[in-house]
Order: sequence, then structure tokens, then C-alpha cells
Amino acid sequence: MNRAAFVRAVKGGLLGGVGVIYFALVGMIERLDTLSIVGSVELSWLLILGPPFIAAYVLARPRVEAGEMRSASASRALWSGGIVGLVSWGLVAIGVGLVQWIGIDTVRSVFRSVSPTLIQILTLHHPVWPGILYLAPIVVLGALAGGALPLLPRRVRRPIITASGVVLLLGLLQQLVPPALDQLHIQRNWLYSNVTLGLSWIGAIVAFAVTFAITWFLQDRSLRDLVAGGPGARDRPGAEARVRTVLLVGWLALGAVLLAMPYLVGPVVARDLGFVGIYLLLGLGLNIVVGYAGLLDLGYVAFFSVGAYTTAVLTGGQLNTYKGLAAPILGAHLNFFLAIPIVVLVAALIGVAIGAPVLRLRGDYLAIVTLGFGEIARVIFGSTWAKNLFGGSAGMTHITDAAIGGYSFRTELHFYYLALGFCALAAFVSWRLQGSRIGRAWNAMREDEQVAEAMGISTIRYKLLAFAMGGAVGSLGGALFAVSIGSLTIASFTIFVSITALAIIILGGMGSIPGVVVGALILIGLPGVLTPLQDYQLLIYGAVLIVIMILRPQGLVPNVRRSRELHEEEVQQDAWMRPVEEGEVPVARGIEA
Amino acid sequence: MTTSETADGTGVVPSRELGRLEQLPIRRIVLTILTIGLVVIVGGGILKTLTLSGAEHLGWAFWANLVVIGLALGAVYALIALGYTLVYGILRMINFAHGEVFMTGAFVSFFFAQAYAASGFLNRSPWLSIAILLVVSMAVSTGVALLLERICYRPLRNAPRLVPLITAIGASLFLQNTFQGFFGAEPRGYPRPDVLSGTISIGPVSFDKMDPVVFATALIGMFVLNRFVQRTKTGRAMRAVSEDREIASLMGIDVDRTVVVTFVLGGLLAGIAAVLYAMTFGQVSATMGFLPGIAAFTAAVLGGIGSIPGAALGGLVLGVSESVGPYLLLSGVHVPSPFELRAVITFSILVLVLIFRPGGILGTGEAEKV
Repeated sequence: MNRAAFVRAVKGGLLGGVGVIYFALVGMIERLDTLSIVGSVELSWLLILGPPFIAAYVLARPRVEAGEMRSASASRALWSGGIVGLVSWGLVAIGVGLVQWIGIDTVRSVFRSVSPTLIQILTLHHPVWPGILYLAPIVVLGALAGGALPLLPRRVRRPIITASGVVLLLGLLQQLVPPALDQLHIQRNWLYSNVTLGLSWIGAIVAFAVTFAITWFLQDRSLRDLVAGGPGARDRPGAEARVRTVLLVGWLALGAVLLAMPYLVGPVVARDLGFVGIYLLLGLGLNIVVGYAGLLDLGYVAFFSVGAYTTAVLTGGQLNTYKGLAAPILGAHLNFFLAIPIVVLVAALIGVAIGAPVLRLRGDYLAIVTLGFGEIARVIFGSTWAKNLFGGSAGMTHITDAAIGGYSFRTELHFYYLALGFCALAAFVSWRLQGSRIGRAWNAMREDEQVAEAMGISTIRYKLLAFAMGGAVGSLGGALFAVSIGSLTIASFTIFVSITALAIIILGGMGSIPGVVVGALILIGLPGVLTPLQDYQLLIYGAVLIVIMILRPQGLVPNVRRSRELHEEEVQQDAWMRPVEEGEVPVARGIEA
Repeated sequence: MTTSETADGTGVVPSRELGRLEQLPIRRIVLTILTIGLVVIVGGGILKTLTLSGAEHLGWAFWANLVVIGLALGAVYALIALGYTLVYGILRMINFAHGEVFMTGAFVSFFFAQAYAASGFLNRSPWLSIAILLVVSMAVSTGVALLLERICYRPLRNAPRLVPLITAIGASLFLQNTFQGFFGAEPRGYPRPDVLSGTISIGPVSFDKMDPVVFATALIGMFVLNRFVQRTKTGRAMRAVSEDREIASLMGIDVDRTVVVTFVLGGLLAGIAAVLYAMTFGQVSATMGFLPGIAAFTAAVLGGIGSIPGAALGGLVLGVSESVGPYLLLSGVHVPSPFELRAVITFSILVLVLIFRPGGILGTGEAEKV
């Protein structure tokens, strides 16, 4: 092990330690300590072991040195893993020592999250001395695991990562999976513990083994080949039809699961899923504006509030005033489903009105102006002048229930179906738009506006169309939000709605419909079933925006078309997405003939 | 639309119903409506306010007072706006998290101010303690600005424009919530030495003792910055990089270093602004950076982004508009406590400047699409 590698390992260890201390100071370690994942291992351990693990993993990965890919030797990877672990632990130990020395109450008067409980977690519920020593082997082992992971052959590594991910996910979904298994009359006491609510050790091991086996079997085999009947069978006659049948069955099965979902998971989770639906609509709408047309809209909340307030006014919502309820000066008592087309039309018109004056602005300016529009919309809806129409800061209530005949959509289970229907509609529209003439025009405009214009695309028309369509879909989310609880206050329409929707499509992958679904499920659904995470939602969204943009700008589920049709220009155009390795000479981009 | 040849061979397809609708100059129509609406609202508001009679009449001392408040506020905005303008000039990028750089300085210096107030040091030697607070705040803001540059922006220097903007939004959210997690969500009262409490009266115009201090400090800060950029070698390197990054690096200028210096300058000025702002308004919180951040960005755009005198001018103009505007427009129509609506003024000015004159007062019109 040479000196440079040693220095790198120490640096990695320091970064790992800083990561752990950050999680401790921001309060996440203590907050997540109530949530068991497997046995008595709580989610907080993911935060204590995660930073050193990642640091050691990054150090042990193959790296480019003097223009050549070099994998770290086994001994070096493990040594640096050990050093990372020790240094990280040392930093945490120094932190705990400092807190003891200064006095916990003094520290607490500045850093709110430093509590006796936090110290207890870090010393494994022993007295500080020697308790802090017990932490050392655990952290070192975590870092060693990180260092060892890149040493494993790829065939073993990938199933291990997938299986660990599945175990973690099962542990996180502890409020969702067990009730569903109960509904299906599947014995589940072996899988989940009744005491800690997390997975039992046996359950975790079984889940790990099963996933490992499946991933092991599936790797290097394309699913399409398997369905068609063995490798190379894809080109045989009849194979295409077979694939199509299986796909159809798959879609039908997915549909059936979606329809049965609320009865499987119970009202609480169904309510959460309905909420995911609202944000899914916002994500799909923003995806049209940002993902398809490439116009960064930071004031998307404007359409959310337009949808919500227009619905409330049209369906007979009442104003909250200090004298009691009052009808808005302008309003109707339409059925929700009759009001929806009007709401959508209004939102589309507002989209055009917002879009028209700012069309000539370049991307980043457009973002800031739309942010201004979003805030202005909030001020207007919450203002005292408009309080006879929108209720001012007190908002509106008694918004008429969406109902078909006697079938009300206000209960959790029924609302889920309303949200599902709206989302299916929006996803279908997005999907059809993507490949249509309009979608391709947006694509062209996003990639290069001048070239698009030169090819005869009226950019003004298509930009306005994007604003109108995006606004219309977003207003559906607002309408859904208005009828979901039947009341509105202006506090629900802050800039954070826009940023949440943005985080959803960035995480999932801009321009990708499955990506938006995944993004909404992770960012809205997961905190819904994991209450301790809710306090850190915005913090996580901020981190997601940074990390995804730097490490994986195409998102978790990239747009299929872009990855399938990757040819020369697109590779070049996306070249910035690949991090420039150390020592590599960056290619001058855009100058080549 | 069809691509088939037309009968007369001109290639012009007779427009259908939709086609005719499309030819409407939507942009011009919306802009005209906007202009008319604006003139009516602003003109009507001012007229009604100035013609208020009797007990409601607002004398000139009232307006002079507002102008003084506005100038002090505007000086703080100008300091923050310089951070936006410097970074924009060098990297052509909006550092959306700059408002949070400002917030971190204010928040950390608060703990020092609190300790000094408790020990009586703040009142024993107010100027020394303010100097220490300024140093602390500048150090913290600079540190955060450097971290931002290193972690969030440098890896994306060659990425499409919107990408660093998105990380900047993420960083802003992240910093806000990190500080909330570290230090708690509730606002804290920022102490002020007794020497600077109370008001001064010059004739009928009276103003907060803090106001002249703020104004003078900000002016000194801007003056030093201007000398730095105009006279020193590093300043010249900054101007060269902002002209053309590639050519500058061919001339032997270390672009990375110049970018770092730019972020340091922005951080230092934000740190100064943070203490002045916190002491004037008497409180700090994790979300305090958002509105001043947007206001300062507006000031930078208003003056012409990329221009240092522009940021100073934009800050002062915006500060005065924010303090005078709500009263001038709204007193006439009897809206209670118009000062609370100053954020609306900021946003409206931002939107209107970007729509009608994206280059700003002193700018080159560069903000228009390339």
C-alpha cells in the first residue's frame, strides 16, 4: 500500500465520518432509530454505516490511472476499507467525546438534535466509555464490506446488490406488505416480526436467498428471449406473437393488481396512494413542459392552485369567513365531472397567458420568471382582495364531493379509484403525445431550438402548446386535491409543490413516463408509509436534485427511446453526463467536424 | 398540416380554421393587455393615494422616511445582488442557492451575537463585537459558497445550462432544511447593541439608527469590490474570464482559481449583508434567505445582470420601490398594512423586467435568447 493510497483512504474516512456526523446533527439518526428493518437493526444504522461503506466502495472501485483502467488489488481494497472505517469511527468518537467534555446541555442549546438518546445510539446503549469502543468494529466491518464489494466478480456482485435492495425495500414497506399478505390469507409470521414490526431474521435471509437465486438465473438472459422460448428464439416465426401475448397478460395482471390494491393494503395506505396519484398528475404534467419541451417551469404550483380553486368554485365550495360560511360571489354547483372540462380549459388558457410573454426568454430566465408567477398566483389566491371569491387566507371548505350517482369518491378506497382513473388518462395522453408529431416537435425544440425553427417547426406555437398541455394535466392534480379532503387553504400551494414535482421527474428521468411513476412512488409514497421520514422530506428532495444531476442525470428509469436509439450524435450530446475520469483528457466537445 | 403541393404551385397551403387562429400574434396581444392593465393599476393606485385628503393625507416626511428605509434595505440587496452578478458574469449561471449562503452567515453569527449579548460584551464594545460578527458571518458564508462551487457546480461546468440551475435549487432546499435540522425551525431574535437602537431625527424625518450604518457599510463593501475588480490582477483575470472563458484560459489564466475567487467574493459580500440584515430586522431563521435572495436576484436583473454598478443601482432602486411602492399603490384603496405585500412588488418587478427589458437598466440586452 503506497502513500498516495493511504492518504486517499484517510480522506475517504474523514468524508465518511463527516457524513455520519451530519446525519447525527440533522437529527435523522435519532428519528429513524424507531424503525426496525431486520430484527432489531434499525434504519438509523443505514445512516451510521452508509457513509463509510460508500467511501470505501468508491476507493476500491477500478479507477483510471495514467489512461489505463486499474482495479485495486484485494489487499489494497481491504486495507483502505479498514482505514476508512477506523478514521470514520475516530471522527465520530471525537465528536461524542467533545459533546461529553463540553456538556450535552450546552451543545444542545446550539445543535438541537444532540440528545442523550443520540449518544446512547452511538454507544450501543452502554456508558459512553467504553461504549464508544463497541461502535468501532461495526463501522470498520461496514467499511470493509464496502471495500470488498468491488472485488467480487460481476456475476455475484449484481445479485447481491439487488437482493440487499429487495430486503431493504421489504423492511421499509412494513406497513404495506403485511396487511396485504393477511388479506390474501398468506401466513406471514415467519417474514415479519410482530415485536419490532420489521422483517424477522429468517424472513430477511429467505427474501435475500430467493432474490439472489432469481437474479442469478436471469442475468445474461434477456427476458424477451426467455418468453420467446430459449436463446436465439427471438427471430423464429411466431416468437413475436408469443412475446406480445405475454406482454398483454403482463399488462392485464398489472391492471388487476392496481384495481385490487386498496382492498389489499387497507384504507391508510390507499389514502397515501391517492396522494401519490395527485403528485403523479403534477409530475406527468410537468414532464410535458420540462421533459418533452425542455422548458423549466418553477411555478408549476400555479396550475395546481388554479385547478384546485376553480374546481372548488365551480362545484359549490363555501368560503371560510369569520361570520361563518358564505358562498363565493361567483360560483356554480356543477357536478365534479362536468366541472373538470372547464377547469382544464381554464388551466390551459392560463398556461398560454403565462407562456406568451416569456417565450423569448432563455431557459434559466424562464425558470425564474415562472417561479415569480407561481408566487404571484399564491398571493392572488390568498389575498384579501379576492377573498370573496377564493376565501383569502382562511381558504374554502365544503367542496362538493365528486360522485357518480350515489357512488361517492370521498372515502379512501374510492378516492384511490378516482386518482387511478385520472392518472391513467394523463399517462395515456402523455404516452400518445410522446411519439406524435407534437411530441417529436417538442423533442426537436428541446435539443436545438434554432435548428427546429429552421426545419419549419413553429417554436412559439409548440411552446405555448406545451404550457397549455402541461397546465391542463397539472390542474387535474389540483382538482383531485380539492375534492380529496373537500377543503383548501393557501398554505398548500407554496413553491415546495413545484420543487417536489420537479424532484419527482428528475429522480425518475426527464421525459420518461415510468420514471415519473417511480419518482412519485419513492418521493411521495415512501414517506407516506414511513412516518419518520416525513420530517426530512424536503431535505431529501434537495439532496435528490443534487445527487441525481451529478451522478445520473438521465434519472432512474431513463426515457426508453433515448437509450434505445442512442446513436453517434446523441452519444456526443450526452457526453457530459459521463463523469470525466481522473487523468483522462477531456474531449473538446462541439468542435469536431 | 399537409405537405402536398397546392394547385397554384406556390406551395402555400390554404390555411384551415386552426391555421388562422395560429397566425394571431398571441404574444403581442398578451403584452398589450398586460401593459394596459399595468398602467391602469399603477396610475390609478398612485392617483388615489396622492389625492387622499384630511387625516389620511400622507405628508412628504412620511415618504422621505420610507425612502431612507428603502435605501438601507436596497444597500443590503445590492450586496447580495453582487454575488449573483459576479457568478453570472463568470459562469453564465444563476446561483439560486446564494440566498442560503446569506442565511448561513446570519444564522451562525447569531450564536456569537447571542453569547456577546448575554455576557454584556455587545454593549461594552459594540463596534468591536459587530466587527467580529461580520468576520464570523463572512467566513461562514464564504465557506458555504466554496462548498457549493466544489460539490454542486464544478462537476457540471460543461453540462447544459439548466442542469446547474436544478442542482442550485436542490442545494438551496438542502441548506435550508439542514439548518432547520441543526438549529431548529423557529426564528431567533438577533440582538442589537443599545448604541444602535432607537431612531434619529433630522427635522421632521426620523429613521432607525441602524439605517445609516447599513448604508455606509454596504457602500464601503461595494467600493472595495469595485477597486478589487478594476485594479488588481485577479480582478482583471475575472473580467477576462467573463469575456471569454476559453480565450482567457489560453492566455494563461487559471479559470478554476478565478471561479473560486468569484465565489469567495460573493460569499464575503453575502456575509456582510447577513449581519446587517439580521441586525436591522432583528431575527434569523433557516428560511430567511429565500425572499432576500429572490429580491437580490431581481435587483441584479433590474440593474443588468453581469454588471457590478448595475447590481448596486438595481439594489437601491428595488429597495426604494419595495418600501415606497406598497404605500404608494395601495394606501389609496385602503388595503391594510401594505408593507407586508412588498414581496409582490419584488416578484412583479422581476417578471416585468424580464418580459419588457431582460437586459436590465445598464445591461446589454444579453438576457434575450441567443
